Formats: sequence, structure tokens, C-alpha cells
Amino acid sequence: MTSQATALQRASLELVIDRSGRQPRLKGWMFFTVVVVAAFMLLIYSRVALDSSAFVLNDLEGQIVTEETRYWELRLQVAEMQSPQRVSRAAEGLGLVYPTERTTLEVAGVEPAGTDIDDRWADLKALLSAQP
Amino acid sequence: MGRRPWVSPDARLVAIGLALLLAWTAIGLRLFHIQGAAAEEYAARGVDQRLRTEVLAADRGTIFDRDGHELAVTVDAITVYANPRQVVDPVQTARAIGPYVGMDPGLLTGLLRKDAGFVYIARQLERRKAEPLRDLELPGIYFTEEPARTYPSGPLAASVIGFVQTDDNQGLEGVEFAFDEVLTGVPGQLVVERDAAGRVIPLGEYQVIPAEPGGDVILTIDREIQFETEQVLAETVERFGALGGTAVVLDPSTGEVLAMANFPTFDPNSRANYEFGTYRNRAVTDVYEPGSTQKLITVAAAIEESVVRPADIYKVPVELPIHDTTYSDEATEARAMTVSDIVAYSSNVGTILIQADLGNEALYRYIAAFGLGRAPGTGFPGETAGVLHPVDEWCVATCGPSTAIGYGVSVSALQMAAAFGVVANNGVLVQPRLVREVVAADGSRLPSVQIERTAVSARTAAEMRLMLAGVVEKGTGRQAAVAGYRVGGKTGTTRKYDETVGDYGDNVISSFIGIAPIENPRLVVAVVIDSPAGGEFGGQVAAPAFSQIALSALHQLGVPPNGE
Repeated sequence: MTSQATALQRASLELVIDRSGRQPRLKGWMFFTVVVVAAFMLLIYSRVALDSSAFVLNDLEGQIVTEETRYWELRLQVAEMQSPQRVSRAAEGLGLVYPTERTTLEVAGVEPAGTDIDDRWADLKALLSAQP
Repeated sequence: MGRRPWVSPDARLVAIGLALLLAWTAIGLRLFHIQGAAAEEYAARGVDQRLRTEVLAADRGTIFDRDGHELAVTVDAITVYANPRQVVDPVQTARAIGPYVGMDPGLLTGLLRKDAGFVYIARQLERRKAEPLRDLELPGIYFTEEPARTYPSGPLAASVIGFVQTDDNQGLEGVEFAFDEVLTGVPGQLVVERDAAGRVIPLGEYQVIPAEPGGDVILTIDREIQFETEQVLAETVERFGALGGTAVVLDPSTGEVLAMANFPTFDPNSRANYEFGTYRNRAVTDVYEPGSTQKLITVAAAIEESVVRPADIYKVPVELPIHDTTYSDEATEARAMTVSDIVAYSSNVGTILIQADLGNEALYRYIAAFGLGRAPGTGFPGETAGVLHPVDEWCVATCGPSTAIGYGVSVSALQMAAAFGVVANNGVLVQPRLVREVVAADGSRLPSVQIERTAVSARTAAEMRLMLAGVVEKGTGRQAAVAGYRVGGKTGTTRKYDETVGDYGDNVISSFIGIAPIENPRLVVAVVIDSPAGGEFGGQVAAPAFSQIALSALHQLGVPPNGE
């Protein structure tokens, strides 16, 4: 083949760019990138959410401790206020005195006040079981 | 000028290569050491830097009275301490702290100027007082949690409850000591990951071995009866200028101690302000010679053995010399007395005559059967068994007579209350108890066991109760009468043995032990007063105290008056 013939043959050739063949590969990469970024963001978000939940839990635990302390302080206050010494002093302060004479009333059909301690303990235990 | 020797470039490259090789080999070896051979050690060091193990103190159990009133509780508290080397301005810091901890700023300044790395500022401060102080964020001032044991009723039943050591809440006296193992619980552990600043790393390492809280102890003590008993005892001791006193209130059918009071006493919340001797529960730990209250056992033994009957008459002289001792009564002339009269008027000579018919062996057997010479079994620390020598060690002539009237034998107030409980409880001795039950942290309850054994027959016990009523109605214990109730009891007055002199001195122990009501006994009350100055006899000193305590306790228990 002569060089002239070759030149003619080249001139008849046309450069064809197949755009449809390259476009899907770019989309795939973009999709992959978006998924990775989204997963990463989700991971960060979940980590932050977990961390903030831990802080909230920490705060709640602190509140529980504070309230439990308050509960015991109140129980102590109640016990101190019910103490016979304090009641006696308060009664004396109010001018109360022991009676010099005692009168016993007998009411038909009414039993004397009992001292069934177990019944009283049942009530108390129910009360104590409500404590934190 | 010489020329530097020529070194070929190849030789230099070899030298550099060798140096690099050596360096990399050294690094590699070090890496192998760190990552391989010593990996575990370095990993452990890393963990140590991040992880903190903290002991979680177990909550100490509560001590309740029989009705569920708190007598000893543990509350959260904060201890304030300082590192004086880090305190910038001791004077200003002391002024700032003073009002919160209730200390003089001058004293505080001295503490903060110490050349030390640690000083306590205030131990176990209430949280509400400590929190504002913490908010001041003063340099060198630190805070730590330290639970505090508190006794909300102050000195009430202090010698029974006892107290704990401030540092570690370990029981040192009383029920706090005796039941320390139950009350303490098991400490837990907290393993937590912290950053360089000491803050907890969220989602870091976090392991908790929870502490097991201690159990609760429920006493047999009735708070109101205890209070009234303490009040009456204190008034009696002060009125008669006595050295001290003890009172015990016992439920004879169950052996439960409703009140146990000692005077002088102390406040466990501020025990450092009281003398060491006041901590003792004398009703359980101290002994005395029971004197005439012992006659109850002597006469009961004689009746039980059918040696005498209550109406039998003895001709009782004023004095009775035996060997080197002369026993006497307050009477001025010889009397014909029934056995009941001998008890009612507390005749020493009459009782010795009865004992002569009974014999030493039987007397000893019954004294032991009434619980003397043996620890009552409450489990209280330092509980005494008293002194009761075996009968084969008794002297031939005077030991029997002396023991019959309450000398030569030593008892605690609790033992004597339990012995009178035999008569109140139809002849059955019930072991006295101070603890009603133990409630574990899981709510399971372990009641104390009632132990009883028969000492005399119910008939003998009933006859003795009538004789004891005679003591109050016509005899030496008239001041023990209780308005609205028929009661009985026995007076006792014993010369105190003076160890420094080696003989009996002028001081006496005045006592009265009684039963109320006498027909259907609900209480035994023992009152023992040590060395009263204003009146010697049990009937004058201790009997009025019995009357007040018994009346108050009967009302508290809801026992209706019998109208007599």
C-alpha cells in the first residue's frame, strides 16, 4: 500500500467517543462515595447520640443519689422530730403537764387497745419497701 | 600539611548502611520487647492509668426499736480536708470556710498553715452544709464522701445501742458492736475509666460489683417506755445524790427487755464529751449483791421443796449469832411471823431460819434455776454471769445464811429482773432478750428464739406473787404502790463491799424489783440505785421509782387498771 493510499484511508476514519460507556462508572463511584459519607455521618451521629445518652444517664444517676440522700435526711429529720426528748421539751414549752388524776373509762363492747406489734410491723415494712 | 586519607564512596555507603541497619535493628528489638515480650506489662500499665477502682461502702443497717422507730441510722455525709501546701491564702480561706464547718477561723488558719499535705477540716459534715462550701472552689480544699452514723434520739438507750468508730463506722460498743457483722454488710467495687483530668469517660470501662447493704436490727426496747424509765431513773439518782443507777423493764412472758436505762449516761452523737465510764451498760455488765431481793428465791425454794407453807409461823428473834457473824433485823423484840410476813417485812433472821430448814444444797440448786451464776444470754458484749460459788466451796457456818439474804452472791440487774420473771411467768424462766429480730437486706427476717425452762411450779409462783403483793400492801415496799393497779415486789438494801478497806463500807445499793399487775403480770421492773446519800433503804429510794416506771409502762402497753 502506498503512503497516499494510507493517508486516504486515515482520512476516512472518524473518532468516535462512546459517552454511554463511561457515564455509569462515574455514577457508581458517586453513589459509593455518598453511601460511605452517609454511613460515616450516621456512625458519628450514633456515637454522639450514645455519648449524650451516657451523659444523661450519668446526670440521672447523680439525681438518684441526691434524692436518696434527701430521702434519708428527711427520715432522719422525722426521727429526730419524733424523739421523745424533743416531744417532751415541746410539750413542757407549751405548758402541758402530766395529769394528777387518771380516770379510766370502760366502754361496753370495746376491747382495750392491743399492742399487736406484728401488725404494726407489717404496716411499717410496707412503708419501708417503698423506699428507693 | 598532610593530606586526608582517601576513602572510597563505597566504603562510606557501607558504613552508613551498617549504622542504619543497627539503628533499625535496635528499634525493631525495642518494638519486639514492647509489643511482644513485655506486652502484657505495658498493657497493664496503660489500664492502670485509665482505670480507677473505687470501694463502694455498704450502707450500715438501721437499729430500730420494737415499734419501728429509728434509733441508729446512717446518712450520707461529706468530709472536708485540705492540702495546706496548695492553699494560697490560709487566712482568707479560713474565713471563708469557718461559717460552714462551725470552726473558729483562727484555729482553721493554724491548720491551713501546717507543713503537711493533708489535714482534716471537718468530718462527716451534713451534705446541705458541705455543698455550698464545695461551690466556693477554694484551692487546696477537697471533699470526700464519708457516711455518718447518727442517733436521732440522742442519749435514749445509748448504753444499749452503743456507738461506732468515726473513721470506718465499725461498732465499738453495745448492739452496734455485738451485731457489727450483721449491720456492716459487704462493700462493693466500682471500676471506671477516667480521663487525664479524672473525669469519667462515657461508654468507657465500667464495672460495678454492688455493695450488699447491712441488715437491720430490731430491738425489744420500747422507745416511750425507755424514755420514761430514763427520766425517772435520772430524777431518782439526782434526788438522792446517788453515784448512779440502773433500771430494767422486762416482759416476763417473752423475756423481751422493754427498757434498759443507766445513769449517768451519754449521747452517742457527741460521746467525746462524756467520761468513758458512762458508756457501760451497767444493767448487763456490773454486778452487785442482791440483798433482800434474793429472799424471793430462798422462800420460793422452801415452798417448792415443801419445807414451809406461806402461813407457817416462825418465832423470829431480833438477832441470830452464827459462828463469827450476828444476823439481825430492824425489830426491837422477838416476833412470831408467818412466812408471808417474813417476806413482807424483809426479815433477815426469819429468812435464815427458813434457809436452815431448806439446806445449802437446795438453796444453791434453786438460785441456779432462777438464772443466777450464769450469763443471761442476751449476747450483749461484756455480759456478766455474776458470782455464784459452787455449793461445795461454801463455808460451813455462814455462807448458807448469808446467801439466803443476798450476800456472797453477785448478780446483774438484768439477772435479777429475769429471776423475778420466773415468779411472774408461772415458774418458767425465760431468757431475757434485747434483740427481737434481724432483718437482712433482702427482707428475710430472723427472729430471736425464746428460750425457757421451768424453775418452780406455777403454784409456788402464784403463792410468791401474793407474798410480793404483801410487801407493797403492808410491808417494806409501800412506796411502790401504783394507783389503779395491784402490784408486788421486794425491796433490797445491801452494804457495798469496799475493796480498799477489805470490808463492807457505809455505802449501800438500794433496790426494788417488782411485778405489775400482780394478778396477770405484764411487767417486771428492777430499779437499782448505787450509793444514795439521801435515803438508804430500797423501799424509800428505789420503790417510788418503780411505781412511776410501772405506771407509765402499763399505760404505754394499754393495760387497763383493775380498779383496786
